[in-house]
Amino acid sequence: MMLPDGSTQLLCLTASSGVPLFTRGASKQLPFSVIGSLNGVHMFGGGQGALLSSCETEGGGKVVWKVFHDSVMLIAVSGGGSSGACSGEEESRLQRLLENVWSCMVLVLGQDELVNLRNIERLKRDLRSCFCLIDKLLEEKHQGVLGNLTHCADSLVPPNPTPLQEAVDGFAQAADSEFGCLFVHGRIVVATEKWWRLAPQEVVLLCALVRTFSASGSASCDYPIFLPQGSPTVAHRLLRFQLLPGVDVCVLCGPTPSLQKAETELVGRFWSPLIETLRSCLAVGERCLPGSVPLRPDVLALLLINRETRRSVSCVQISSHHPLSDSSLSKSRCWELLKLFYIFSISRYFTQEETLCGSPEESTQRSHTEDFLHGFSHQPQQCYLVTEECKSYGLQTQQHQFFLLMLPSVPTFALRTVATQTLADIISATAF
Amino acid sequence: MRWFYNRMASVSPGLCSENTLSTAQKAKEDGDTESTSSSFSSSDYNYDLEPEWLDDIQKNGELFYLELSEGEEEAALARVAASQCLSTNHVRFSEKEAEVITEQASTQRRGSRRTGEPALKKLARILGRKRRPSQRKGGKDGSRGKATPSPPASILKTQPGQQQDVAVQRRRLKEACVYLNPKRLASSPTPLCERGGLLEALLGVVHRPAWTGGQTDRGAVRQDGRLTVHGLIPNSPAIKCGQILIGDVLLAVDDVDVSPENIERVLSCIPGPTQEEILYQYPVSEASSQLKGVRGIFLTLCDMLENVTGGHIISSSLLLGKHLVHVGYWKERNNLLVVGLPAQRVPLLSLQTVVGDVVRTLKVMYGSLNSAFCKPDHAPRLDHFFCLFFQQLIQPWRLREGSPPPPDVSGSLFLDGLPAVRWLTLPPEIKMEVDTVLSDFESSDFGEMSEDFFGLRRLYVILGSCLFYKSYLIANHLPKEDLLDVCLYCQHFCLLPLASEQRVGQLVIWREVFLQQRASGGLAPGFSQPPGRHFLLIVGLRHFMQCVLLEAGGCASPALGSPGPDCVYVDQVKATLLQLNALEAAMEERLNVPSAPCLSCADWFLPAATTRDRLDSLASSSPVLSKLAGAIRGSPSGHRGRSLFGEKSRKSSPQRSLSDSGSEGPMDAGSGSPAAPGLSPHSTPDSGRRIGGRQDSLGSDGSGGSGGLFKMPRMKHPNPFYLGTLKKTLTDRETEEMYNTIKLTSGTENTLFHYVLMETVQGIFIAPTHREVAQLSGSIHPQLIHNFHHCCLSIRAAFQQNLPARGCRAADRSQRSGWGLGPVKEHGVLFQCKPENWTDQRKPAPTMTYWVIGRMLLEPVPQEFYVCFHDSVPEVPVEMAFRLSFGLGL
Repeated sequence: MMLPDGSTQLLCLTASSGVPLFTRGASKQLPFSVIGSLNGVHMFGGGQGALLSSCETEGGGKVVWKVFHDSVMLIAVSGGGSSGACSGEEESRLQRLLENVWSCMVLVLGQDELVNLRNIERLKRDLRSCFCLIDKLLEEKHQGVLGNLTHCADSLVPPNPTPLQEAVDGFAQAADSEFGCLFVHGRIVVATEKWWRLAPQEVVLLCALVRTFSASGSASCDYPIFLPQGSPTVAHRLLRFQLLPGVDVCVLCGPTPSLQKAETELVGRFWSPLIETLRSCLAVGERCLPGSVPLRPDVLALLLINRETRRSVSCVQISSHHPLSDSSLSKSRCWELLKLFYIFSISRYFTQEETLCGSPEESTQRSHTEDFLHGFSHQPQQCYLVTEECKSYGLQTQQHQFFLLMLPSVPTFALRTVATQTLADIISATAF
Repeated sequence: MRWFYNRMASVSPGLCSENTLSTAQKAKEDGDTESTSSSFSSSDYNYDLEPEWLDDIQKNGELFYLELSEGEEEAALARVAASQCLSTNHVRFSEKEAEVITEQASTQRRGSRRTGEPALKKLARILGRKRRPSQRKGGKDGSRGKATPSPPASILKTQPGQQQDVAVQRRRLKEACVYLNPKRLASSPTPLCERGGLLEALLGVVHRPAWTGGQTDRGAVRQDGRLTVHGLIPNSPAIKCGQILIGDVLLAVDDVDVSPENIERVLSCIPGPTQEEILYQYPVSEASSQLKGVRGIFLTLCDMLENVTGGHIISSSLLLGKHLVHVGYWKERNNLLVVGLPAQRVPLLSLQTVVGDVVRTLKVMYGSLNSAFCKPDHAPRLDHFFCLFFQQLIQPWRLREGSPPPPDVSGSLFLDGLPAVRWLTLPPEIKMEVDTVLSDFESSDFGEMSEDFFGLRRLYVILGSCLFYKSYLIANHLPKEDLLDVCLYCQHFCLLPLASEQRVGQLVIWREVFLQQRASGGLAPGFSQPPGRHFLLIVGLRHFMQCVLLEAGGCASPALGSPGPDCVYVDQVKATLLQLNALEAAMEERLNVPSAPCLSCADWFLPAATTRDRLDSLASSSPVLSKLAGAIRGSPSGHRGRSLFGEKSRKSSPQRSLSDSGSEGPMDAGSGSPAAPGLSPHSTPDSGRRIGGRQDSLGSDGSGGSGGLFKMPRMKHPNPFYLGTLKKTLTDRETEEMYNTIKLTSGTENTLFHYVLMETVQGIFIAPTHREVAQLSGSIHPQLIHNFHHCCLSIRAAFQQNLPARGCRAADRSQRSGWGLGPVKEHGVLFQCKPENWTDQRKPAPTMTYWVIGRMLLEPVPQEFYVCFHDSVPEVPVEMAFRLSFGLGL
């Protein structure tokens, strides 16, 4: 067995000639012969009018292929062994991963360089600058960030948003930009109206990018980016400034102003009066919801998606000394279960908002699970799952999707009430 | 869209050599027909009339004889054009018919081969001629030695047989297995076409034609036509195997007779490790040839992925044009079975079950995939087999005559995929009678017909049998796995609907089967089954169908060749069925009585139509209810008719006032029959039962649904296999009360729409009968049932996929990441539906919400329970499942 259990390897090749561009993930790279065969079968099938999209092995291993713009082939291989994860779920995850990796490559290099493939050696070199971001996508260790999966921006609801909103609007305007955004722990706190008009996938990618910068600890940076949907061929500048450790603000702008000018003149003017407010945001921390929103103690984790604004909040609440919790669920396991339950519900019952990724023919290549969704004669509204570790409840309304993990001690018949009540509480308290 | 690849990675082509010094060994080649007759003589079958099906027995002993009843025949004739299965009033998958069916297929097959690989075609031809259905080993010699009757029909029958060599010689056959790898030739530096050709290069056998008789004349060699081993090359495969000696004569390679003329060609056709041969393909269609064109993908993935992810491949998905196709894989030794199915029909979730079931059916019929696919004379049978397979999945309507409502594909995917058979509970006295009759038969005490009577050894031991009435299993004396084997066969050949939809005049099926659990040596450790061959005898008369498993060998006399059905056994089953026919009225009564638990119709919860319309539609759809409707209309107590169909309560919303509906029950029960107080605390629109009850009390003639209600409570539905331990602790009275209140849902109103309860250990499941469902017609309800089944596919997949790996303890799991969701105990989905064609612009369409919930139970007996009910009352599925299984006596 070449791939360790549960690990994922990403292969990138040129679609026409099968020249490997890079491989990421998993500790040990797959042998070249395997990479060649994986690419070969897809290319062979394509030539014969049979386009291979995925395959599955016993024990949950999975391979997913996707060609972008007839130029770049991405293959994700996951090493199963997890004895559990349903095939459909793993597949949705890998499909999302490939879309994200492609967008990430466009974000950094621009579409032209990737589609025209003039100088492959140079492209290989240039692609190295994406590795940091791609590795982040592959790791998926970053707890509390589900945007890669949901394509909805991970958000944090601040206790007092109004001054922050004013500040970010003013700051962006002063920097000759319509796109400004404030992040706390890599989650969006407030952003300008135009920022929210970016494609959801772009917003999610920008969040990921800012997280990597933030983790690097630099105080500010000026980084050229392409917007995969909005501006795939013309680069913009992303200016990012660290306001406090864990708090970043960024704007997308044209040639002016210079990083130095913005840093010295604008940052202090707009943000120094708000330091205390920013600190209170930091205090909200991973809960994402202000303290004014009550959460029942038997709630383990939740994910709330606003389908209209394409924003989401998520949190895991583990009280180790909880009287009812005899289960030793770790925080990371909670995040994992939340993620799995989201994919489970989405791949079987609820609709996932269409992302504008790729051409129409690529969207016909949607995951198979959607066929299953179409097989229902009536519309699924809610679902629940009782497992050994927890009880999960998902519901979908016109405006929201809500996923809740609860302690196994909660009676099953009460799940629905708890879920609807919790949803109502959050919405009324935060207007999310 | 299906091939069976043969990969020769380590296959050792058998070499058959001959040593002329030894004694003769003659094989019985034509045992098929003889054995049939011999079995008659041995059983002293002395009726004057031969059974009708006698002429339809095939050479391999198999029989599939179906005769419809007279009324059905006429109807069938009228529909004959549209029908796929019924070409005449006598449907016989006899040899003749099979040939007709496959004539086109075979020419197509040949055509495809001709265009592709002429060498392979030739090989196939030669193979086909020399194969025999049985006694293969050592048989080649015998077949050459005498004038055999024409070989069993196959696609290759048209090839004229070669001149028969009449010279019988005394010689001994031996079979040697030699590992050959044609790939090595490419790497070896020596040029291929030296004098010895492939015989030397590949095999290492030196044959010098000149040496045979000192003659150098080529013509003489040809006349001799023998490949005598004159020498062996050191380190060659031939010498390594150690069985090939100088002086031996090479007769056949892989069952292909060889001569100096064809040896090079035959050897060149041995596929190497990377070459593959399509053993079987079905159908010949555009999509299928497209998939065939990319078979390299399947083989490559199959080989490669096992090393990469540590598990062998089970499925892949690809886009053919605009259609998504799921491809399922099944590897057996070096052969690979690939099944492609449209994603629209078979979701990925159920692909593995579908492929697993078809493989098991093939194994039951042929023993292994290898023997199913590797015999060329199986091709016509396989064509028929896969024709049925694909039609049931893709065009199920073509298997039914007329144009009934479109069959519920999800329903059949789900129900057929369950490792269980649909069970019908019977009232205890009838059940006992049925079991007694079956047991009598199984005791093999055939009186003066039995072998004992003549002091002979028994031909067969009856392992057990099971009995179907109108597609429901009503009695089973088979172990679970055997039952499933038998049922897979019946399902595949659509035998169950046959008995329920049409009256079968006579059905006789006979074939050898390979019971899966016995093959795998499953049962208890240390206990080995005595070796024996098993035969399946299915006899159908009218609506009854009995499947009997017989064992030859072991205690009974061993079976020789391919025995056909034995008249005595067939007649005994027939006699059993005739005896059971007396119970038909009781069965019908049972089916007419809407059984517990009561069901509601989804449409009743939506104010779609006025009461009168609903009443009429109900009446027109069901004869039982039409009678009821008449009774209601004629009833002087007008309020009753109204409240029965819930006009008042059901008008506005599903959330009726409880007092309204609650008041109805006691009154009804009281006026209807004082003998059953408290019988209907459930004030549901289960009109059928209630009216039925009243008719009974009024002294109606007992036809139709009469008498049902008040007999029901006393039915105890015993189960032959499991007597609930709990039941013993209850007094009779308590038990009776339990049955009286068999309403599955809680609350005052019956909100149950549908259910499926599977008993994992016994391999049976219970669901509302077709008739019950039909009585609940309506526009929404069929949709709901489809949706229920579709959702159950997902629920069951969740139960299956998240099962923990065996031997994986909870402690280990928590430490492993990526463990998935963990074992799912219960899973539910809430659906919303709206009436179709809602025209009222002023008001929004009313909605109705309902749950579909699945629950896996391990205690007290392993069960899977699926239920669909209205959203008005929160339910605890465990309790419902318990109530249901207890109430049904399971």
